[in-house]
Amino acid sequence: MSEQNMSIAIDRHHRGMTLDTEETAIVVKNWNLYYGSKQALQNITMKLPQNRVTAFIGPSGCGKSTLLRCFNRMNDLIDIVSVEGEMLLHGEDMYAKEMDVAALRRRVGMVFQKPNPFPKSIYENVSYGLRLQGINDKNVLDETVEWALKGAGLWEEVKDRLDENALGLSGGQQQRLCIARAIAIKPEVLLLDEPTSALDPISTLAIEELIFELKKDFTILIVTHNMQQAARVSDYTAFMYMGDLIEYTDTDSLFTNPQVKRTEDYISGRYG
Amino acid sequence: MDKQEFSTHISEMLNRNLEDLFNHILEMGGMVERQLENALQALGSSDVDKAQEVISFDKAINHAEMEIDRLCAKVLARQQPTASDLRLILAAIRIAIDLERMGDEVVKLAKMVIIFGKHDGLKCSDIQGYAELVDISNRSSVMLKMTLDSFARVSTDSVGKVIREEEVIDDIFKKIEKDLKESLKTSPDQIECLMEMIIALRAAERVSDHARNIVESILYLVQGDDVRNLDESRLNDLLNSLESSKG
Repeated sequence: MSEQNMSIAIDRHHRGMTLDTEETAIVVKNWNLYYGSKQALQNITMKLPQNRVTAFIGPSGCGKSTLLRCFNRMNDLIDIVSVEGEMLLHGEDMYAKEMDVAALRRRVGMVFQKPNPFPKSIYENVSYGLRLQGINDKNVLDETVEWALKGAGLWEEVKDRLDENALGLSGGQQQRLCIARAIAIKPEVLLLDEPTSALDPISTLAIEELIFELKKDFTILIVTHNMQQAARVSDYTAFMYMGDLIEYTDTDSLFTNPQVKRTEDYISGRYG
Repeated sequence: MDKQEFSTHISEMLNRNLEDLFNHILEMGGMVERQLENALQALGSSDVDKAQEVISFDKAINHAEMEIDRLCAKVLARQQPTASDLRLILAAIRIAIDLERMGDEVVKLAKMVIIFGKHDGLKCSDIQGYAELVDISNRSSVMLKMTLDSFARVSTDSVGKVIREEEVIDDIFKKIEKDLKESLKTSPDQIECLMEMIIALRAAERVSDHARNIVESILYLVQGDDVRNLDESRLNDLLNSLESSKG
């Protein structure tokens, strides 16, 4: 082997993803959130990379879902919530007074824990967001519905029954339909809050594979109780504990060589 | 079992990582194969430069082992492999260790060429035991090829052959080692050369031991059988059953 090949072999050992070289989609600076007087998020500062999957893990009550809901201002709906700090989506202040929250939620879509299709047809579910935006052109709707269902890996299964009620689909199919509905309006960021916790293992793997595919087009932030899932699907992982961001790095490093003892204890099942 | 089975998971990432692991092992195996060929050439022509090249290249083999370890750790931590996938990871870790140690043994052959190169006019081929050294090295090289071929095909076809051949090499080594020890007593003036030859012979014989370890890892991968410490009669039974299942 030549010296050159040898150095390639050596270089490979050091190769890896790093946040420093990624394009940033969202910047979070000194972010605090309070439920009344109780502080739920403490001074969170992080950059979320574009077209990557970032997973938030941590025990119940650590603040991961609360933080996820900040990214599309879902917490605005809770009266007692107050926030401090800065959150920027591609440099734009997401909490600016003039920000149109409905427009922000079109840019930052969300899929919830339990599949929640509307009791309407498959077609109407996926085209719903577009119609809300005033798009009624049949060709545009048809094309987008097909694109979104293909993107969600559901097209082949439902293309011949788009008029059937979405509630007739299996749990896994319903969740992929919800993903299709979320991506139909072409958001920049997709928030997934425990998207597979109500699904069987095979449907879970199908959704995980889909997440991997979707990152080509979207920035994906996922909250999961299942840390093996975070390990399988994400590029970067953030470990949170009692409202603090404890460790945030590339998923390879976090799961093979975490730098903080508390992270190590949690991911290796020593958390008490 | 065939290799295709490792690319049929729902998770494309797991498919890719396992494919990557196969390729890394085969690439590392190819590196060791070339090292052994180069060392044999250096021995045959007393080529000190070539021997030096073999010694320098050992670093690349060491790094290849580290890369395989890194990949295995990644798959274990991130994808929780089970069944044959888990056996593949465990086998890959062991195979990489054996290949790295083969590389170290080959370096010992190359070092002999350099040591003899310092003595004017003395060639390795003039030393007693050289014919056996070439014989053992060539046989070990063929064994290594067979093991890599078996791994590439995820097949146990060559397991019996490799294990039997390792036993043949053991016998050749024991006989020449005994002869050389006798010569040490009768020709004390040749102590340095004869000692170097014994070291080189042992290194070549160790290459075959590692090749045997690798086919044992392949057998574990394919069938889940751990044959590392089987007594002779049970090992023979196993080899016979492998032979008959082939036929």
